[in-house]
This record gives sequence, structure tokens and C-alpha cells, in this order.
Amino acid sequence: MSALERLLGEFAALAASDAGVDGAGRRDTGADAAAAALRAQGLPTRRDENWHYADLRALEGIRQFRAAPPAQRTADAQLPEPLEGHARLVYIDGVLAGGSPLPASPALTRLPVAAVAASPPADPSGEFAGDARMGLVARMFAPEPLALRVTGSAALEIVHLASSTAANCHSHVRIELDAGASLSLVERQLGFGALVAEHLPPAALHCSNLELRLGAGAQLRHTRLQQAAGHALRFNTLSAELGAQAVYQLCQLAAGDGSERTTAQFRLQGRAASLRIAALAAARGAQSADSQFSIVHAAPATRSEQLFRGIASDRAQVSCSADVRAEATAPGARVQQSLRGLIDGPGAAVNLRPRLTINTDDIQAQHGATTGRLDENLLFYLLARGLEPATARSLLKWALLGEVFTAVEPAPLRRAAERAVAVQLRDATATELLQ
Amino acid sequence: MNTALLEIENLRVNVAGTPVLHGLSLAVHAGEVHAIMGPNGSGKSTLAHVLAGRPGYEVTAGSVRFDGADLLAMAPEERARAGLFLGFQYPVEIPGVNNAYLLKAALNARRRARGESEIDAFDFLDMVRAQMRVMQIDEALLTRGVNEGFSGGEKKRNEILQMLVLQPRLALLDETDSGLDIDALKVVGRGINTLRSPERAIVLVTHYQRLLDQVVPDQVHVLARGHIVRSGDRALALELERRGYDWLLDAAPAVA
Ligand SMILES: Nc1ncnc2c1ncn2[C@@H]1O[C@H](COP(=O)(O)OP(=O)(O)O)[C@@H](O)[C@H]1O
Ligand SMILES: [Mg+2]
Repeated sequence: MSALERLLGEFAALAASDAGVDGAGRRDTGADAAAAALRAQGLPTRRDENWHYADLRALEGIRQFRAAPPAQRTADAQLPEPLEGHARLVYIDGVLAGGSPLPASPALTRLPVAAVAASPPADPSGEFAGDARMGLVARMFAPEPLALRVTGSAALEIVHLASSTAANCHSHVRIELDAGASLSLVERQLGFGALVAEHLPPAALHCSNLELRLGAGAQLRHTRLQQAAGHALRFNTLSAELGAQAVYQLCQLAAGDGSERTTAQFRLQGRAASLRIAALAAARGAQSADSQFSIVHAAPATRSEQLFRGIASDRAQVSCSADVRAEATAPGARVQQSLRGLIDGPGAAVNLRPRLTINTDDIQAQHGATTGRLDENLLFYLLARGLEPATARSLLKWALLGEVFTAVEPAPLRRAAERAVAVQLRDATATELLQ
Repeated sequence: MNTALLEIENLRVNVAGTPVLHGLSLAVHAGEVHAIMGPNGSGKSTLAHVLAGRPGYEVTAGSVRFDGADLLAMAPEERARAGLFLGFQYPVEIPGVNNAYLLKAALNARRRARGESEIDAFDFLDMVRAQMRVMQIDEALLTRGVNEGFSGGEKKRNEILQMLVLQPRLALLDETDSGLDIDALKVVGRGINTLRSPERAIVLVTHYQRLLDQVVPDQVHVLARGHIVRSGDRALALELERRGYDWLLDAAPAVA
């Protein structure tokens, strides 16, 4: 049986046996529609345009797709220090811990669960629809979909934990920001936490689907820190639609030990909407870290910036594709793109794919993509000043990543992010400095 | 005479498979300032890089002793910590590595090698600020990336600043004067002169003699076709200024 057949079979069994969530059936939460869309599109394969670099072999090896059965789920010592001012939601195996508490913030309300189905799965004929396929898996299997509405100024942290190395975790969250609302959103994907033996095939599948809608003038600052151990294969799918004058700043750090694929799709729908992405991926061993960003400028005077920094050590593969399209309806658009990758291992590879499609005459676009090994000239300069080779190499790597860390919000999270990356880079000096 | 601080004997070096230095010998004693002059492409930078330990230079014969130790057996960072300083002809820009951080890390590396403790942060800043005033470098440059967006002159002055902070036993300054206007040249010359002492030595690599008006050398050597073809005192530099290098090149023996 193919992976797709097994997956759809599991879903059918699940839909027949359970009553859905909060009285809402899988039809109401859009899970059925997602299953139908996945049936039509199939699981991604290497032959698919934007899936060459994802770890699909690991996906083939996944034995079970549905979420872990209800287990004794306790948010234990794995939880990081709380972030000041941020309400916290903890997902364990995709289920909200502590009786699904609603964050105590007047600006944050929970919508009826059926609201998660507000955006139907992307039209399969759409240009980027195939890229978001693993988001459909999250929609199908998320045990506790959640829809939130932000009406004023709010701060929310969502922590994702797994109860074991074998537990699948799927989540489907939709957040709607009203006109003028502002949200500081932090997502921490921690998995089971404990480091397991390296180079084992992943035993679990973690799929998240996050949908964001920013009303006119809404502001979203979003940091996503992925630092799960290597027991899980992770697919993050994100889609966002920005209204007029909305501002979205996304900072994403992939510093986990397992293979990971991010698909993030943005639509700048309203005049002067603005998006800034600062992303980092640090991969080692046989890991693959693949990011696929697509941005559509659909309105005048919209702005977008994509900053990506990747380091591939050992035999790891880091890839980033940044696909920006400026429609004819987007005169005065501005696009700025800077992708840089460092190959830091004998069998490591970095693939950067900047792509700009421009259908309007009136646009300012800057882009650059560079990949290479550490610059021997810079290295020698530092050695000639007496620095240890390991220190010199470390300095140059952190110099490459620096701009991404400055984008981490709120600032107290920055150190945690740096620590996660230091561990991932096996950088003993930095790890010690950051204690 | 006491033993030399730097003793190069019959040094032969290949770059990319091609011989560039063909049996170069030179002795520099503590307290001395030497100038190495020579036409472009004669191997001056090659010599400076080999001494500093840059990869890609193949030593095929000869020896170099620094303060009694086998310099060529040491890693680049060990050479630096032992007190050898290379002022680069083309200082690189390293965005994201803070200038002050590098200065401090370099100084502490050298102090640790001497068995000293790390410098106090406030003492460090006081000292660096004082040296920046000597070098007329804007303090704002401390917080920038190493040489990031510096003008040509600022880069060269920053090299000398690093030298003053590190107080090396031997400073090898590769064309620190090139690209400087006369005022900057004076500042650089003054900085170099403050390092002169009976314990230290300075080797100035230069194409022109104008830096030597500021930093008066004890000895002047002409490097041509991969070895030293003539040594003399200050007067040799002035003669080169007048006559160029051709008369010496004609006299140089053919490459073996
Ligand atoms: N990295 C290199 N690869 C090939 N040839 C080199 C390299 N560096 C220097 N050379 C050659 O070595 C010779 C000496 O160069 P260099 O030491 O830079 O001279 P100088 O500093 O006196 O101008 C020149 O012929 C130059 O072309
Ligand atoms: Mg030179």
C-alpha cells in the first residue's frame, strides 16, 4: 500500500470512529475537504517542482499518520521559562494541555472550532497549492484545531511538545487579527526534547498548519523556534493574508535535530501591506532543512523582504526557495531579498533558489543569493590575530546568522534562540558563553 | 652580537607550484627597524604571508627562527600569540564580527599565551581609546564590524591600532603606507614609531620610500626576483627613489 493509501485509510477509519472536536465533525473543521484535496493531489514526490530538497524518503518510512492516542499527557520540566507578558498555550501531541485553557487576555477570544475551516484548502490548480500539501495532513489529523481572534493588543506563546519519541503531533491553528489589532506570537516546537540516538530514521510525524489573517493596519510579530530532537520529521505549513497597511514580521529559526520542511505562503492583499521574513536554518548529520517561501504582491505599494541564512554541516542539506510574484495590480511594490548559505561539511549542500516574477513595470527589487564555504581570507585574518581556529570559525558563522537573531522578538527569546543554534552547530564556545 | 629576533635562512617558497622566493636570508634583531623594498611582484607580500603562516605557500627549503623557535612549525595563531604581527596590505572586511570584540579576543589570546590573566573590560576600553586617539580613529568604528565600510585609510590605521593594542615583538607591516595621503601617512608613521623599543623589531614592507621619512629604518633591503639583492642603510632607499629599481634588477643574478 502506498503511503497515500495508508494515510487516507487511517483518516477514513478515524472519521468513522470519532465524533470530531467539540461537537464539530471533521466535515465542519475542513478535515474532510483537506482529505479530498490530498487525494486529488497526492503526497509530494521528488519529481514535484518544489519538493526536490525535502526529506521525502523519511516521509515514506512513516508507519502511522494519525495523532498519538490519548496518553497521560503532562507538561513537565520540558517547558521553557515563560515569556513575560505572553499567555501560553501548550500542545502535547497536538492536544491542548490543562483542559484547553483560553489565554486570559481580553484582546484574545476563541472562535467556534468550525472557524478553522474559514479558508478552504488552496485551489489545487493554484500556482503554489502543491507546496502546501503537508498542511492538508495537519488539517486532517489535528486532534484539536483552534481558531482565535485578536481584537486589541495581545501576546501569545504556543508551545508544542510530544509525549514520546514515537508520538505524532499535528496542529491546525487559525488566527484572525481584526483591523488595527496587534499580536506578538511565539511558537516553540520542542518535540520530545530528549536527544535520542543520532541517524535513526524518524519515528514520528509532526505536521502543523497555521493560518493567519491580518486585517487592515494589523500588526503581527511572530517568532517560530524549532528545536525538536531528531525523532520526528516535521512539516510546517503557514499561510497568511495581509490587509491594507498590515505589517507582518516573521522570524523563523530551524535549529532542530530532525529533518524539516517549511512551506510558507503570503499574500499581500491590501495596499501598502508589508512583510518581513528573517529565517535561519542550521542542519547537521544527515538532516535536511528545506524552506519554501512564496509571496504574492497583489496590491499597490506593498513591501516584502526575505532574509535567509543557512548553515549545512556534515552531510546535511539546507535549502531555501524564495518565490516572489508581483502582480499587475501591485505598482510601487518593493522587494528585497538576501539569501546566504554556508557549506560547512565535506558532504554538505546548500541550495538557494531566489525567484522573482514581475508583472508590473513599477517595482523596486533587490536580490542576492550566495553560497560557499567559510572565506579562507577572513579566517586567516582572525588566526593572524591569535584567535583559535574553532573560535574564528564560530565567529564567522555567527556573523552570518547575526541579522536573523536581531529579528527575534521578544528580546528575551533571543538568548534561547542563540543557545538552540549553538547546540545545533555543536559550537562549544558559544554554548558556554550563552549559558 | 646577540641572536636575532627573526632569522631567515635560505628560504625558498613556491606559490601555486611556481617558485617565488629563491633562497632569501635576513636577520632582524630586537630594537631594529628594517625596510624591505622592491618592485611589484618581487615577493614582498609572499614573504610576509609565509612568516605569518598563511596556507597556500609551500616552503621548499630554508628555515625561519623567531625568538629562538622554529617559526615555520607553528600554526598562524601560535605565531601571533608568540608576538608576531602581520599588518595586511589588504585588510579584509568582516561584517558581523565586532571590531572591539576582535581587539579584545586578540589581546586576551596573547595575554593567555604569556601566562597573564584576561584584561579587565574597563582597562581594555581605556587603553583602546587612548590608542585610537593616537591613530586618530573615530571611536564609533569600535562598534562596527571589523573594517566594515571603512575607507582605505581607516583600514590601514586600524591595522596599526591593532598592532598598538597587541604590542607585538615583531611587526611585519605590508605596504601600510599605500593609498594614504600625507596626513594619514604621518599618523601611521607616528603610530609605528611608538612601538619602537629595544625589545621589539619592525619590518616595513614598502614600495616607496616616503614612509621611511616618518619611520627611519636601521637597514634597507631590496627584494627582487625572489631574494635580497642589496642591503644598505637609509641612503639606499633614497637612491632607489632617485634611480628606480632597474639598475639593481640588471645586477641581480639569474634565477637558479
Ligand atoms: N595566490 C597566488 N597565486 C599565484 N601567484 C601568486 C599568488 N600570490 C602571489 N603570486 C605571485 O607571486 C609573485 C610575488 O607576489 P607578491 O608576493 O604579492 O609580490 P609583492 O608583494 O612584492 O608585490 C608574483 O609573481 C605573484 O603573481
Ligand atoms: Mg605586496
